[in-house]
Amino acid sequence: MRGLNRINTIEVKALTKIFDKDVKAVDGISFNVKEGEILGFLGPNGAGKTTTLNMLSTLLRPTSGTATINGHDILTEPDAVRRSIGYVFQDTTLDIDLTGNENLDFHGRLYGLDRNARQQRIKELLELVQLSDRADDLVKTYSGGMKRRLEIARGLLHHPKVLFLDEPTLGLDPQTRRSIWEHIQRLNQEKNVTIILTTHYTEEADYLCTRILIIDFGRIVALDTPDNLKARLKGDVVTLLFKNPAAIEKFRPLLENKNWVHRINVVTSDNNYAAMSRMMQNMPTMTGNMDIGGTMPEMNSRTIGVQKKLRKLSQQKSERSAADKDVQIGGETCAKCLNLLVDSGGHRIPEIVKLADEAGVVLESVELRKPTLDDVFLSVTGRNIREEKGSIVDMVRRHRIMQQARGRQIRD
Amino acid sequence: MVEPLSGQAIYVVLLRELKRYWRAKARVISSVAQSIFFLAIFGLGLGDFIGRVGSIGYLSYMAPGVIGMGLLFGSVFSGVSIIFDRQFGFMKEMLVAPVSRTSIIIGKIFGGATTATIQGIILMAVAGVMGAFVPSLTFLAGAFAAIGAMLLITAGFVGLGVAIGSTLNDFHAFQLLSTFVMWPMFMLSGVFFPIDMAPMPLQVAMLCDPMFYGVELLRWCLLGTGADLLGPLGWLISLAVVIAFDAFMVALGTYLFSRTQI
Repeated sequence: MRGLNRINTIEVKALTKIFDKDVKAVDGISFNVKEGEILGFLGPNGAGKTTTLNMLSTLLRPTSGTATINGHDILTEPDAVRRSIGYVFQDTTLDIDLTGNENLDFHGRLYGLDRNARQQRIKELLELVQLSDRADDLVKTYSGGMKRRLEIARGLLHHPKVLFLDEPTLGLDPQTRRSIWEHIQRLNQEKNVTIILTTHYTEEADYLCTRILIIDFGRIVALDTPDNLKARLKGDVVTLLFKNPAAIEKFRPLLENKNWVHRINVVTSDNNYAAMSRMMQNMPTMTGNMDIGGTMPEMNSRTIGVQKKLRKLSQQKSERSAADKDVQIGGETCAKCLNLLVDSGGHRIPEIVKLADEAGVVLESVELRKPTLDDVFLSVTGRNIREEKGSIVDMVRRHRIMQQARGRQIRD
Repeated sequence: MVEPLSGQAIYVVLLRELKRYWRAKARVISSVAQSIFFLAIFGLGLGDFIGRVGSIGYLSYMAPGVIGMGLLFGSVFSGVSIIFDRQFGFMKEMLVAPVSRTSIIIGKIFGGATTATIQGIILMAVAGVMGAFVPSLTFLAGAFAAIGAMLLITAGFVGLGVAIGSTLNDFHAFQLLSTFVMWPMFMLSGVFFPIDMAPMPLQVAMLCDPMFYGVELLRWCLLGTGADLLGPLGWLISLAVVIAFDAFMVALGTYLFSRTQI
C-alpha cells in the first residue's frame, strides 16, 4: 500500500463544530492522513464535509478539538497552516473580470512569491491544466471545466503540502469530470501533494482515493481503502424491481427469515437504476435460465472509470409475462427497489424468483452485481447516498446545518 | 489583536481594484457623464438665474461639489463592492490566504481611494474645460493640493462602504444605501447652495455631514475660498474633520470586516 511508512501530514483530534449550541455539524472526528495520500470525504449534503474542511483551513474555528497540518496547529498557527494548504472551494472563487493569468498572479502575490517564481510556476501550471493558450482571456469567457482547472492550478501555485478539493467535479459533465480526475491524479503523483477531497459521487471516491472516510451526521462511520470497504460486504448485491411498489412490504418479510440474506434495504431507484431498467426492457426477454454474462457498455458517469463487471439478469417469470410484455416496455419504472446482500447471489436468484411467484408478487427486473461503494454507503448509513429525501427530521436537520454553515461567522 | 501588514497583499488588492476600474469603462463613462449633466444643466442653467455666490460664479461654486459627488459615490460603492466579492466567492480566496484581514482592507481602501480620485481628476479637468476655474499658477498648485485632498476624502468613504458592505448582505441594500445615506450626504454637502444662506436646522444637518467638509476642502483648494461660517481657517477645520473621519471609518471598516462572514 502506498504511504504506509510515511509521516502523517494531517492529524485530526476530536474535531467538533456545534452551531447554535445544539446542532452538531461535526461531532468529534479524529483521523490521520499520510503524506501523498488522497483521502475522500464521502457523504450526503450536510454531512459535515465542508464544515470540516473550513475548520482545517482555519476559516472556521472549531467548537472543540484541533488538528495539525504539516506539523502546524490550526488553532495556534493559522498563518503557517494557510501557507501549507491550497483550497479549491465548491463554488468558484475566481475573479471573472480578470484573466486566468492575472488570477494566478494575484494568488502568487498573496502568498508572497517573487516575480520569477510566479512567472515560472504559472507557466508550468497552466501547461499542466492545459490552459496556456487561454491564459490571457478573461475568466468570464471560460467554460465550467476550464474554471475548475484554473482553480486547481491556482490552489497549487504556492506549492502547498496539502490540497483541499471541495466537490471538485460537482455539476460537470462526465467527460470534463474524467479529465479533472486525471489532473488530480497527475498532480498528486508529480507533486506528491496530499489531498483531501469531498464528494458525494461514490465512483469519484472509488476512482481517485487512497482511502475513503464516510461521514454522516458529522460522524465518521467508516474509514478504509475502497477495496477494503467493498470487501467488508461479503456476497453479492441483488436488486429487485417490482411492478407494484406496494409489493415491497408484502415480499420483504419472506426474505427476512432466510439465513443467506445478510441485509435488506429499501432504496429509491435513482436515474441509474431507471436507466438500467430501461435498457433491460429493450433487451430480448429472457425465459428459463436467465444468466446473461457480460460487460455493460459505459452508460453514464457512474460507470466511467470503474471497470466493474456487471452481470445483468432479466426475469419475467409470471405466467402473464407474454401478455404483459407490451405494458412493460411502455411501463414506468418502480420508484423503490429492494436491495439485498446475499451469499452467492447467482444461485439464490431462482429461489428469490420462486418466492415471488408463490407470494403472487410480480418482479419487473432482477439485477445482480458485486458490491460497490454505493452499497458500502448504504450498509454503514442505512441510506442511499443519492437519496435526497430521507425522513423529514433528517431534512430539517440538514437544512438547518447548511443554513448555519453558510451564514457562519468565521474566525478573526 | 494587532495583525501584521503585508505590503505585497496591500499592493495586490489595490492592483486588482485598478484593473477592474480600468476595464469597467461603462461605469466610468456613466459616472463622468452624470457629473457633466449636473455641471452643464444646473451650473449653466441655474447659473444665470442665481448669479454669483459671494465673489464667484455659480458654475465655479458648484464644480467642487460635483467633483465631490463623483468622489463620494465612487468611493462608497468601491467599498461596498466587498458584498459582490463575497457573493461571487472571491472573498474566500483572499481570506484563506496567509495575509491579515487588515492588509486586505487597507489594500481595498487604497484601491478605492485611488480609483475614486482618478474619477475626481477627470471631473476636475471636465469642469476646467467648461470654464469653472481660472487658469493660473495658483490654480495649478491648488489642483495638486486638490488631488491630495481627494485621496484623503475618499479613503474615509471607502471605509464607510466597507463597513456597510461588511454589515449588509444583499444587493437590495444598495437602493436603501443610495437613498438614505449617499443622496442626503451629497445634497447636504453644500454643492448647490452655500451653508451661510441656509436656515439654521439645515446648517446643523450640513455640519454633521462629513462630505460637507470634503467639499469645503476642495473649494479652498480649487477656488481659494470657503464658507463664511467656518471663518478664514475653514480649510484647516475641514482638513482636520476629513482626517478624523478617515481614521474613524478606516478603523470601523477594518473592525467590521475582520468579523465578516463567508
